[in-house]
Amino acid sequence: MVQPLHAGNRRVISQRNIGRGLATPVTLVLIAAFAVPMAVVMLLSLHGYSDPFGPLFRTPSAAQYATVLGDFFYLKVVLETLLLAGGVTVVSVLLGYPLALWLVSVPARWRALAFVVILIPLLTNVVVRSLGIVLLLAPDGILNGVLGWFGIGPFRGMLYNYGAVCVALAQVFMPYVVLALYDVLQGTSPRVHEAAESLGASPSMVFWTVRFPMALPGLRAGIVVVFLMASTAYVSATILGGGRVLTSGMLVYREAIVNLNYPVAAALTLVMTLASLGFSGVVLLVFRRLTPWVNNAGGQGRAAATLPALPIALVRTMDVVGPILSKVLLAAAILLLLLPLYLVVMQSFNDVPQASSAKFMGFTLKWYQLVLENGNYTAAFLNSVRLAIGSTLVALAVSIPAAFALVRFRFPGISGLAVFWALPLSLPGVAIGVGMLQLLSIFFRLPPFLGLLAVHVVIVIPFCISLLVASVMQLDRSQEEAAASLGANAVQRFFRIILPGLAPGIAAASIMAFLTSFGEVTVTSFLTTARMTTLPVRIYADSTFMLEPTIHAVSAMTMLLTLIALFVLNKFLRLDRLYAR
Amino acid sequence: MTLMKRRTFGKLVLGTGVAAPFSFVRSAIAQPKPGDELIVGIWGGAQERIVREFVEPALVEKYGCKVSYVLGGTGERRARAYAERGRPSFDVIYLNIYESRQAVTDGVTQAPTDAVENAQYLYPLAKMGGYGVAFNPATIIYKTDKASAPITSWKDLFNDEWKGRFAVPQVPGMEGMAALLMLAKTYGGDEFNIDVGFDKLKELKPFAAVQTSAENAWQMFEQDIADITVEFGSLANIAKDSTLPGITIADPTEGICAAMNVACITTGTQNQVLAEEWINLHLSEPCMQAYMRQTYYSPTVNNVVIPDDLKDKILTPEQMERLVSFDWEHIASKQSEWSSRFTREIAG
Repeated sequence: MVQPLHAGNRRVISQRNIGRGLATPVTLVLIAAFAVPMAVVMLLSLHGYSDPFGPLFRTPSAAQYATVLGDFFYLKVVLETLLLAGGVTVVSVLLGYPLALWLVSVPARWRALAFVVILIPLLTNVVVRSLGIVLLLAPDGILNGVLGWFGIGPFRGMLYNYGAVCVALAQVFMPYVVLALYDVLQGTSPRVHEAAESLGASPSMVFWTVRFPMALPGLRAGIVVVFLMASTAYVSATILGGGRVLTSGMLVYREAIVNLNYPVAAALTLVMTLASLGFSGVVLLVFRRLTPWVNNAGGQGRAAATLPALPIALVRTMDVVGPILSKVLLAAAILLLLLPLYLVVMQSFNDVPQASSAKFMGFTLKWYQLVLENGNYTAAFLNSVRLAIGSTLVALAVSIPAAFALVRFRFPGISGLAVFWALPLSLPGVAIGVGMLQLLSIFFRLPPFLGLLAVHVVIVIPFCISLLVASVMQLDRSQEEAAASLGANAVQRFFRIILPGLAPGIAAASIMAFLTSFGEVTVTSFLTTARMTTLPVRIYADSTFMLEPTIHAVSAMTMLLTLIALFVLNKFLRLDRLYAR
Repeated sequence: MTLMKRRTFGKLVLGTGVAAPFSFVRSAIAQPKPGDELIVGIWGGAQERIVREFVEPALVEKYGCKVSYVLGGTGERRARAYAERGRPSFDVIYLNIYESRQAVTDGVTQAPTDAVENAQYLYPLAKMGGYGVAFNPATIIYKTDKASAPITSWKDLFNDEWKGRFAVPQVPGMEGMAALLMLAKTYGGDEFNIDVGFDKLKELKPFAAVQTSAENAWQMFEQDIADITVEFGSLANIAKDSTLPGITIADPTEGICAAMNVACITTGTQNQVLAEEWINLHLSEPCMQAYMRQTYYSPTVNNVVIPDDLKDKILTPEQMERLVSFDWEHIASKQSEWSSRFTREIAG
């Protein structure tokens, strides 16, 4: 029987409207808290010359773009930054994949402890972690010490170059790949692997034809996130680059903050953003081709159809080498994440005036005493926690509907919206800070907490959406259809089928959002006020005079608090169940 | 009787205002009330600790006010002050020697006045932007055992033993500016002929490294990456006391480059009296002594006693004469250009 045309139209319109409705909250939040400051940055980029006190609206000029695009120096920095970000992404994926596989395979009762390996580094201030890497790679550092036992080295050139920055950034960003991968890996039924094995596939073959393709949605999210974050990194690049490494994020900071040359900084930001987005677009296209089943409703598709077949010799070699290689990479990943933190804890007891001094001059507790006597650290810590919780809740509330809109609904403009939602990730934090600062000082004043909350929500939304999209893709729609056929309405289906299925993704997104907000320093330092200073800004503030080991003491205490909180949570909430689908 | 026109009346009022004694005008400034809040933008670490201990309690006791701090680097603080010109969220901000001069010129902060009682004791150099609160000059720092003879001139940077061992300080940054300016001056240039400085810096290539802060420089010394650099004498003395006893802080014949922390009152502050008293207390003996003792910063006022045990680390009034100062306003205007040039020609 032919459906009446108008009835079909009604259904299409209704589906489109649901999609639009789901996409609206996040779009509105980003328009208010991100698009408007970015419009300010855009206007600044069209200023013909720099005048910090001039009007925002001026006759548009392309002079700044001509300066940036016509200058080989700027272009070289942009290209080097993109290459650096690419290197960081490769290292993060190489080390993050075995780590994610290990997390999935850890027995449930140890899983909370295993998560500490990636959560503790994320909760440690980026300045402190970078100093840990300095202590690791220094000529008289641990790495050279170990190599020395084997009669190798010492290597004096490991610091202050692109390699050192790459290692430091991988240490900082690898957990994001792990979290993204973990979510999809643990959602894959072990029966799929068993089926492949029962059909005679060797371990390498199982990896190439089943495990790897199934993890591609998570890998895609991890690659995009790490690449965009690495391409805008500032703090680690400054500390580990030793003045020799110049990234576009550093150039933007220098032009905007040191030289107060907002127009050039704004133009540079937008050029860099376009370049980064171009890369993200290529990644998304490649992954779309590699995962044809993902957009196929019901999960039916031609899994691995587009992955090339491996030569049999390579498969056999990998069967032998693979287990050893994966163990080596796993050990390297864990060491890279934890060794700098161990050094940070050791430094917190070192009686030296400077945080970066590698010599152990004597045991002292005075840095802890200074931290505990100074109530500002506590206040700053509480501010950071409040801000992180607030921004996580708001970001989740708007990101969950957005993820469904992206995965399950097609309507005109959805692709454009997806790009818009990911934009905050591709802009250097300093640019968002400048835009927000200009806006807040020109037009209105928000209560400090609300202003910071708005910015933090903007920063964490792309992470939440990226992770939740991967989770929504993994949902088994046949269960929803079964529930519907048994009479469950939309609300019942959401709470009884969808939400439990999404729980791991929501947990991963919450953790990532919380940690990102908790550790954010670049934008926050612009908007912080006397009554609203966060812990990372407090530590950053200390570092601007002379880095005392108080920052190590604060970090060690944060790590201890995190450990206690995780164990208490695990006792009452069973973290392993939170992560288990 | 002719009534006075409004414009004439306005001119008279303006004229009276200009001609009025300073104390008469000041009476119009709102006096502090208990509960008022002074917002201070300052660096963290020891700087914050010292003002909390030696300035805040006295101010709070006198006026019953509250003091809050915005902590962070100079860059963020300055960017915010510029964005808020005329309606600032800070009352007092701390800047460096050339930023403070420029901020006054740009109308972001106020020029110093006699309303700050202790300002009468300021050395002339410390009263040219806001209120200088600590001298922190930059000079050559080197490993003593690596020198064939003590360094006595900026020209000694070119001695063979330092080839490839010089950690060039980054521009922008006061230490990098000091290296650039002092090399220019030593070889016949100055801030208006900075090409000389850039050429001489280039001659020092290859560098052991580019150092971005004192912390960074000491790390490079400790790990044998570099043997010589240009840094703040005060911070070098702190390092010498602890992890780097084998370094020497040079006193070149051409002089050492002036550098200074400056407290500035923002234009448009609603807490003028509190801000002035804050700075007054910062310039007082107890605070200056704490700075000398804890950070080896030299006093900017001539009425404090330098303790005997600190005389080899603190600038004496006679040594003040050897501080080399420049046209800091011109330097501020060239900061962007020099910074870009440094990145392209020196660090690259």
